[in-house]
Amino acid sequence: MSEHKPVALSKAPGETPHEFTLISPDREQVLKVGEFITYPAQVDGTARTIVARVSQRRALRLYPDDFLIDPGIDPDLLAALLGYHEPVNDLFELTAAVIGYYDRDLGDFINPRLPPRSGCPIYLAADEELAGILTKKRLGEVGSAHIGSLLYREQDRVPIVLDLRAITSTHLAIIANTGAGKSYLAAVLLEEMMKPYNRAAVLVVDPHGEYDTLVEMVRIDAFAEGDYRPDVRIFRPGEVKIRASALTPDDLCYLLPELSERMEYLLRRAYRDVRQQSWDERGNAERWTRAELLSHLQRLGKGGKEEREEGGRYTSTAEAVTWRLRSVLERSVIFDDTRQLELDEILHPGRCSVLQLNDVDEREQQVVVATLLRRLLHARTLTVKGRAKKGNDLYLPYPVFVLVEEAHRFAPAAGNAISTGVLKQVQAEGRKFGVVTGLVSQRPGKLDPDVLSQCGTQFILRIINPLDQTRVAESVETVGRELLRELPALTKGQAIIAGEAVNTPVLCRVRARHTRHGAETHDAPAEWRSYIDD
Amino acid sequence: MLIGKVVKSNSHTDYVCQVYGPGEVDHPPTREDHAFGTFVRVELGRGHWLVGIIYDTQLVNPDFGRLGPRLSPQAELAVFSPDYLNEKATLVGIAAIGTMRRTGSAFQGVPEVAANADALVEQMAEDQVRVFHQHNPAIQLAYAPLLLAQGSPLVLHLLRKVVSFLIVLYPEHTQMLSVLRASLDWKAQLVPLGGVP
Repeated sequence: MSEHKPVALSKAPGETPHEFTLISPDREQVLKVGEFITYPAQVDGTARTIVARVSQRRALRLYPDDFLIDPGIDPDLLAALLGYHEPVNDLFELTAAVIGYYDRDLGDFINPRLPPRSGCPIYLAADEELAGILTKKRLGEVGSAHIGSLLYREQDRVPIVLDLRAITSTHLAIIANTGAGKSYLAAVLLEEMMKPYNRAAVLVVDPHGEYDTLVEMVRIDAFAEGDYRPDVRIFRPGEVKIRASALTPDDLCYLLPELSERMEYLLRRAYRDVRQQSWDERGNAERWTRAELLSHLQRLGKGGKEEREEGGRYTSTAEAVTWRLRSVLERSVIFDDTRQLELDEILHPGRCSVLQLNDVDEREQQVVVATLLRRLLHARTLTVKGRAKKGNDLYLPYPVFVLVEEAHRFAPAAGNAISTGVLKQVQAEGRKFGVVTGLVSQRPGKLDPDVLSQCGTQFILRIINPLDQTRVAESVETVGRELLRELPALTKGQAIIAGEAVNTPVLCRVRARHTRHGAETHDAPAEWRSYIDD
Repeated sequence: MLIGKVVKSNSHTDYVCQVYGPGEVDHPPTREDHAFGTFVRVELGRGHWLVGIIYDTQLVNPDFGRLGPRLSPQAELAVFSPDYLNEKATLVGIAAIGTMRRTGSAFQGVPEVAANADALVEQMAEDQVRVFHQHNPAIQLAYAPLLLAQGSPLVLHLLRKVVSFLIVLYPEHTQMLSVLRASLDWKAQLVPLGGVP
């Protein structure tokens, strides 16, 4: 229920059909931009409480400029000198956008399309009321994720509890400037996913190696229930393995630098031949080795009898491709002939696997992500369609969530990263098969706009760069203009959450992590000083 | 110091006072006694006064525009036509800006009651001006908006004079009053020449 004392009176309809203006002295300074207010209304004969959000605030009364000449003189004293002794002299005209009344059966807001009559009392929405309508879930429910509390209210008065089901069916994006707290927020979300009431199957692609503190979840009581404790596995750079035979010809062409058309032709022929050989000898086209691929390349380079007499048509081309293959595949710590991370090893309900890709070349990182996502989608598709049975290494009988840090590396707006296409495919098809991505990026302006716009839930923290702000505004339709204007003013740990996981966009103060944060900024001056003192 | 009596009013807060001339009282007021910006009080009776401020002065001279010769020379007018001499007068405009009582209570703003014709007008002493402006814990100038609302071209200069006088009277409030005076100075001196208000 609304608090009984009105804080304002409505004035008139606003510029758009869903807006209205209200007048308030706002003595307690509660009507902040973004704050939720309510008013009573009859909708189709039923008494409803309509929720609206303050979008603009304009002072109607201002002291004369001349009162502000001397910074040492309080203008209130000048007003008193001239006979004005009211304790509060402010008066504001506020604009509010109608959100609607909350229909508990539908679990959503319904806009009455009717602004309040002039003079209608306006109330500040009560904490309990907001807690029940802003988000779909309650604390501790299965499928809930307690991310923080509503920013305008006292800490923890209005918990923001997201609907994980909505998140895991529509993908999510976390975007912010460096240092705004995006990794922190991502970790909070991961913690919630690993709580006993969720027990998610999570994979984290961690190019900076900053999520290893998630292992602390194993020792924290908040994550324990009965026999359950989260299984957190950290895969260090040398432990992340991709079998070379799992690479596609496109992956190989992407990995090898400066391939000419002849080289690519030869590589694709050798690839086809080695797969055929693998199939003939082992009954599986994806069991060839790097040496076999090189051998096929050399054979193709030598050519047939006629070509040998001519000195070999592809000899130099084959040598060039061989040199490139050796320099990339054999030098890499990622690619291997036999070993690779099996899907059920990294993804299992109640398990959070962190793939640390620091010290790995950026192109290799992209190929790792592309290969993993491709296999994941393939496995889930086969499993859902009943074509992969238990015992098959592509049998994955549960939905999975993949968090990709530095997503702009894997789906850049410019360039042709091999992982972009796979990410787009996962975003387009993954929803049906339970492969959900969470993208974290500090440069939405450099992130592929299609990839960003496919994310149904958005967490947006402080963004200052105008290009990034524009990209967010273009790609995130669910966040209103008024909230986007808040972006540069957000402080660390404050986020706009919009999309499927909430009933209406909210400004959230992110809760404290249970685990330590692994991406603390260095205190360089202190470290320099400490080095010299030691 | 009595300076004259009310002879008419233009509105509830705008009075005209005829200044005593020679022979009307034992000690007729000097020019300085009814100068522009002088605080005066108008008797309402029973220890109750209107407080006003002189904002205008007009001279009445029936001889102005009379081009024909007079039978009596100027030097003999006092003997042969003493009434004529009395027709020349000095009128001052008084803006009523409040009331005060003998008990020391004062009110600034539009007075509830009006003065009668012939009510005596006297110059206020400095301590009376001080009582009128005292408003715990500081001072008050609540009549300033009332004067500004009259729209007289002299009102800004009148208020500058009042504020300057109050700065002398209340040196402890100089900083606050200076803000007001700076604003009035700008409006009175520079805005007429094109300064942005």
